[in-house]
Amino acid sequence: MNRQRGFYKGMNLTLFTFAMIFLYIPIIIMIVYSFNDSKIVAGWKGFTFKYYVDLMNNENIRLAFRNTMLIAFLSTLISTVLGTLGALALENLRFKGRKLLNILVFIPLIMPDILMGVSMAMFYSFLRVKTGMLTVLIAHVTFCLSYAVIVIRSRLEGFDGSLLEASMDLGANPWQTFFKIKLPLMMPGIIAAALLAFTLSIDDFIITFFTTGRGFNTLPIYVEGGIRRGTITTINALSSLMIAATIVIVFLSRRFHKAILKHL
Amino acid sequence: MPISISEQRLDEKRNTRSWILSAPVIIWLVIFFLIPYLIIFLYSFLTTNVYDVQFRFSLDAFRQVFRPIYLKPFLLAFRLATITTALCLILGYPVAYHIARSSQKMKNYLLLLIIIPFWTNFVIRIFSWRVFLSANGVLNETLMYFNLIDEPLRLLRTDLAVILVTVYVYLPYMIFPLYSAIEKMDFTLLDAARDLGANEVTSFFKITLPLSREGIVAGIILVFIPALGTYVIPHLVGHQNALYIGQIITYKIKNIPRNWPLASALSLSLLILVSLILFFLTRRYKRERKVS
Amino acid sequence: MEAIRLENLSKAFEPLMAVDNVNLKIEQGELYSFLGPSGCGKTTLLRMIAGFEVPTDGRIFIAGQDITDVPAYKRKVNTIFQNYSLFPHMTVFDNTAFGLRIQKIRKSEIEDRVMEMLKLVKMEDQAAKFPRQLSGGQKQRIAIARALVNRPEVLLLDEPLAALDLKLRQHMLIELMNIHDAVGITFIYVTHNQDEAMSISDRIAVMNRGQIIQEGPPDDIYERPQSIFAAYFIGDTNMIPATVLGIEDNYVDLRYESKTGEGFEFDSTFQRVPELGQNITVSLRPEKIAISRSKPEDQEDFNVLKGVIEDILYLGTHTQYIVRVDDLRFRVFNQHKRVYFDDKALDWEEEVYLYWHDTDTHIIEEVEEDYRQEDLNVLDQTNLESRH
Repeated sequence: MNRQRGFYKGMNLTLFTFAMIFLYIPIIIMIVYSFNDSKIVAGWKGFTFKYYVDLMNNENIRLAFRNTMLIAFLSTLISTVLGTLGALALENLRFKGRKLLNILVFIPLIMPDILMGVSMAMFYSFLRVKTGMLTVLIAHVTFCLSYAVIVIRSRLEGFDGSLLEASMDLGANPWQTFFKIKLPLMMPGIIAAALLAFTLSIDDFIITFFTTGRGFNTLPIYVEGGIRRGTITTINALSSLMIAATIVIVFLSRRFHKAILKHL
Repeated sequence: MPISISEQRLDEKRNTRSWILSAPVIIWLVIFFLIPYLIIFLYSFLTTNVYDVQFRFSLDAFRQVFRPIYLKPFLLAFRLATITTALCLILGYPVAYHIARSSQKMKNYLLLLIIIPFWTNFVIRIFSWRVFLSANGVLNETLMYFNLIDEPLRLLRTDLAVILVTVYVYLPYMIFPLYSAIEKMDFTLLDAARDLGANEVTSFFKITLPLSREGIVAGIILVFIPALGTYVIPHLVGHQNALYIGQIITYKIKNIPRNWPLASALSLSLLILVSLILFFLTRRYKRERKVS
Repeated sequence: MEAIRLENLSKAFEPLMAVDNVNLKIEQGELYSFLGPSGCGKTTLLRMIAGFEVPTDGRIFIAGQDITDVPAYKRKVNTIFQNYSLFPHMTVFDNTAFGLRIQKIRKSEIEDRVMEMLKLVKMEDQAAKFPRQLSGGQKQRIAIARALVNRPEVLLLDEPLAALDLKLRQHMLIELMNIHDAVGITFIYVTHNQDEAMSISDRIAVMNRGQIIQEGPPDDIYERPQSIFAAYFIGDTNMIPATVLGIEDNYVDLRYESKTGEGFEFDSTFQRVPELGQNITVSLRPEKIAISRSKPEDQEDFNVLKGVIEDILYLGTHTQYIVRVDDLRFRVFNQHKRVYFDDKALDWEEEVYLYWHDTDTHIIEEVEEDYRQEDLNVLDQTNLESRH
């Protein structure tokens, strides 16, 4: 039942609609223009698939795509596994390192990304490490880790401990109990964390920008370069494809959104 | 009453297990998060030779931070963050409220509408505004088509563009915490207020707004702080003569002449600024929660 | 044969003794109840037997073997949890088969035993459902099946019916008794509900403050409470503080000393001879008192008191009268049998006679002053709950 009335309803609906237009207009225009048969951003010159074909044949984009996926996959894997362990440790309320861990996990979340980028760039330079895939991967794991711990921890907070007792009561030893009861029930939280880590990794520009080396590009880095170089139309097509992928992922992962949003 | 030996052992065993479980996370974050911050600290006391740092103690970097040329980017960033946060709050609140008051089924669809742009790539979202705002972009073409203007307006590479895009990028960060806070609210309170004679405007300011304070504070933190350190947005849509602190720091690291000590000192200043803002926001919030 | 033996079992939860030096023996096949108010330690006791809590002191024996240091998953004990604790990600069948699969029993045998057990609890046609699709009573049945399918030595039931509504609870209670008869396994039943404990148990241990204060068959505990706490906690009762005036062969003369009035004297039989002049408490169950407008004929073994009706509560099966005698208030239950009724119904403020046989009182060698305030609070709470 909708119990909103006059003032609220009018104000809300107007502003809500306005906000939606605001959120979607640039995206929609970009998608439309990705089919525009014109080298520069300009008026409508006719429909073409040309830029999508260019995209498929562009070796650099294919490489950047592969790099992005590789980094996202590996950083998701590592941060989710470590995050699961960390969340399990935090479950023990009498754990003496609880406060330390909580603080350590919390600070990276609230600091501007640029600080993490700068600090890592200096860290690598200080150690004379050659920047590239590995340095990007480490940076991505670092910022995904906090999100992973927090999302999984929140899933564990309401965990009914009597289920574990029931399992032991029925003869399952602690390992069996973990793998047959605890882990399956933690799974939604772990998947939510993985999804978030994956998205964050794909999304990241600034930290990658600071930690990557010559020749190792991810898609956001490539897109940013493309914008500066002015190869706009290919970028339009690439962006549209990435938005399409986003929509697909968002729809496929609908049931995990609550868990993610709750702890943003 | 003494705790038995076996109980004590059990407790110690659990504690050890927690240390082992958390060791990878702690070690990872200490090495790759804390130590790099320490290096920022260390570098800010060194000097530079245009290409690289020189390991010689100096307070030059800190002296430079207070020169107007470096203070102005701070002020610009602060102004941007403030305006952005205010706009996000004004625009985000009705959206969050509308979603929170919708039916369960509707809620899920509306949330999806917010999530899709939110999960769309950050750089692409900024890029889409360039398509929209550029001299021969959609907005100018449309305005010219209807003869509202004679020649293209300069929309891109202005402060306005930076603010618009920053609001655009961070709006979802405001909407989500607001939404969770408003959704938790007991809406019968509004009926009660109406019953007691409050009109809708009064009940909004006396009931809805105070009860969603937790979400407002979270939203402000989530928008203000990243907006303060933004680099990509002004870099791609901002005016070349109005540099924000994020840009200065980046250029001092990436572009020659490099000045890493200065970049470190500026980063450190940003860090302190952020910490102060966080301290201020959460302290007020804590005190208010204690009172209520 | 002995199923369970507890020796000096204690558990401290700083600064409290949750379980305080408990000793008891439970026979094979018995249905044994721990009855007590919340916080009396009965659940802690059960959890120690199951292996979820480590005793601070003492030993636990199952079938003669010391299992104090055996972990929960190696004990041949299964538990029915208060909130059922069914695994939400498994079907009814998988829940029930869980224990057998852990034991790596042959698949065909698992199937047979699970289905047999589901039949016993009348859930054989729900095997493919998930717990969230079941009602409270059905979840309860699955919890029972899941535990019993492992053929434990002992089945522990932790307030198993607390989450069910009254009708279902009564129904499940009978089913539990039937199941107990069918499987012949020792049941240990924990509850704060005296009706449940009374109706289901072979023996009851009444607990308070971590200690067993009385143990015995239900009728024994009801008729011969050994403490004020037990008398109050199980059923309703009137407590009359009294002094022993004289001791005869099979009864004692007692006197109630009033603070404001004259007091009264009455007789009571006894189990143990009290001392002359000793201060004791007499428990008199409300249903044992007869109430009448006219004075009953004098009879040797009857005590008769005169009082005024202060309150009348019609409760369907019976009517409860609150009758003031001197400065004492007696609770009297009068069943609605025409033979016991006067012609005209009793009314407020009416003068009535209360009378009871002197074998119907029970002497407790304690005085109420011995009790700590918190115990009395617990009792008040319990009485309130049982009345509503």
